[in-house]
Amino acid sequence: MRTNIIALSVIIFTYCMSAQQMRIEKHSKMNIDCKTCHTCDVPTKADPCLTECPREKIATVYQKPEQTPELIKINQLSDRYEPVYFSHKLHAQMAAISDGCENCHHHNTSGPILKCNKCHEVSRQREDVGIPDLKGAYHRQCMDCHREWSHETGCNSCHNLKTDGEKSSPKFDYKKYAGKDHPDVVVPSVINYKTKSDRGEIVTFSHNDHTKSFGLKCTNCHKHESCSKCHDVSHKTSEKPKEVKTELSFEQQHKNCINCHEKNEQCNRCHGRENIEPFNHTKKTGWALNRHHEKLACSKCHGQKIPYKKIDNKCSSCHQAWNKENFKHSITGLQLDETHIELSCEDCHLEGNFELKPSCNGCHENFSYPNKKPGQLIRN
Amino acid sequence: MPGKSRRDFLKNSIAGGIAATGISASVANAGPKNILSADRMGVLVDTTVCVGCRNCEWACKTAHNLDSGDLNSYEERKILESKRRPSEHALTVVNEYTHGKNSTLPVDVKVQCMHCDHPACVSACIVGAFSKQENGAVIWDTDMCIGCRYCMAACPFQIPAFEYNKAINPLIMKCDFCFDRTKEEKLPACVGICPTETLTYGPRTELIRIARERIKRDPSRYIDHIYGEYEVGGTAWMYLASKNFTELDFPLLSKNPAPGVSESIQHGIFAYFVPPVSLYALLGGIMWLSKRRKEMEGEEKI
Repeated sequence: MRTNIIALSVIIFTYCMSAQQMRIEKHSKMNIDCKTCHTCDVPTKADPCLTECPREKIATVYQKPEQTPELIKINQLSDRYEPVYFSHKLHAQMAAISDGCENCHHHNTSGPILKCNKCHEVSRQREDVGIPDLKGAYHRQCMDCHREWSHETGCNSCHNLKTDGEKSSPKFDYKKYAGKDHPDVVVPSVINYKTKSDRGEIVTFSHNDHTKSFGLKCTNCHKHESCSKCHDVSHKTSEKPKEVKTELSFEQQHKNCINCHEKNEQCNRCHGRENIEPFNHTKKTGWALNRHHEKLACSKCHGQKIPYKKIDNKCSSCHQAWNKENFKHSITGLQLDETHIELSCEDCHLEGNFELKPSCNGCHENFSYPNKKPGQLIRN
Repeated sequence: MPGKSRRDFLKNSIAGGIAATGISASVANAGPKNILSADRMGVLVDTTVCVGCRNCEWACKTAHNLDSGDLNSYEERKILESKRRPSEHALTVVNEYTHGKNSTLPVDVKVQCMHCDHPACVSACIVGAFSKQENGAVIWDTDMCIGCRYCMAACPFQIPAFEYNKAINPLIMKCDFCFDRTKEEKLPACVGICPTETLTYGPRTELIRIARERIKRDPSRYIDHIYGEYEVGGTAWMYLASKNFTELDFPLLSKNPAPGVSESIQHGIFAYFVPPVSLYALLGGIMWLSKRRKEMEGEEKI
């Protein structure tokens, strides 16, 4: 019996050690600056010189909200109240709109999802008071949104009092949230911001262009969003919705834009007295996106790096690999006939300039395109 | 209650005065206990996480044997519509203000004694009932208190309250930093109950470090000011907020300790019983002069 216990503890110990080892190996290979978490140059196991929990995006365990548990029972702290059943999936769906998992799981470098009490101690009387205790951490996580949402701060608005064996009708029925989903978010196509700028108070923001064409993710701009961003949370009070006084510096106000738009760009590019039309490739660049180019992502031609680099309108600028052998002329809508397909490109497209009208004069006198065609027009 | 009545105090001071003028100055030198230990404790109040549940008010009353009522009754938020001050019935109160920067949420502020590092009440108390303790608490000895209420007048935060409604044994009342609880290694009652840990209890130097770190990490949440770090020479209770402290009814105070200049003059004069000695010397001089004048007049008449 005793040997069994010893063997079991050895196995558990080895497992824990290997799990720890694995975690260290993994997170050192992650694309995170070491200084995000460690204050010294050479952190060791004995002295990891950890900074205070950074709330930055360093979670690495991602799950879709639907993969997460429906309800989580929280029953560690109170003698006074019944356990709380936290509707995890529903909240994960809400979190997905702005910060994602790390909205709550804010310090989870690698390995499995850490429990809150891994860092947040249960006891309020503790050595390191820089990190909130578990009770404080839970409530801080909940109350910012819930105060805004329900305007209630009383304990009984979320907790059900324990009753000694008596049957009572619980005020808060957690379990009814088990199967619920947050409705899909309606994404606006254009937003007109009213600013105090003397360079033009209206800033037209084409949300659609940025998400669909320019490939920005929600979290590129949306951080720590509150419910009131979309919901009218004044519904439970007689007050009108309050206008948030944003006291942000010029840099903070423009932070999201300046990532891509150059700092010294003209103000009137975005600021105006009236709404500005959405981005139009033809108008802005003089090069219409037709047919094959219409549905391409910008990055396909302009590269991943933002701000996008300008390119000229020569086909070869993008299609460098095309030559007579691998280019199927039919994608232009003109299928070359047997005679013409043997010719080299430059025979018709003089000097390799594909922008100009093709010339037939190399072989045929008085022939011109498109009156005479070297093949058959087809539909793509 | 003032353990001593005013009559007792006068009796003793007359007796003491006679003794002092006669022989010794050592009695006058024994000032109140006023310790400023390096590892004194404090509380950091982060008003940006306070939800205004007022559980602290209930816990405070319960810990100090005041009429606290049922905890559930504290859910009533109508009381927050008017501003309250700590009183003899409630040593701490929470007031609510309009939202701070970048938020729609109201700002809730707990008010109680700040437990100054250089307390004006300790300085003002004429019987030496007030003291600054090693753990940071500013407390007073009810047995020594004579109910003069100088502490109330001296306090830059107007905290000490007086049981005016009591005809017999009225007491000075204020937050005592739960001195009896912390002696037994327990947390102050309000700190213990706070659901969001708005109140962080720890060594004052550590709390300042934590407060700075919070402002640095989230500059859009906080204004760059730790109220109580320097005000009136520093206080044990310190505050973080999302809006200007004057808008939250905190007094605008300088870095100089409140007792400051007045204390040095006052203590200078009263040291070694200068006033009684000089008074008696003056009276003696007048008597001597008038006696001499009479003698001169008499001589002239003769």
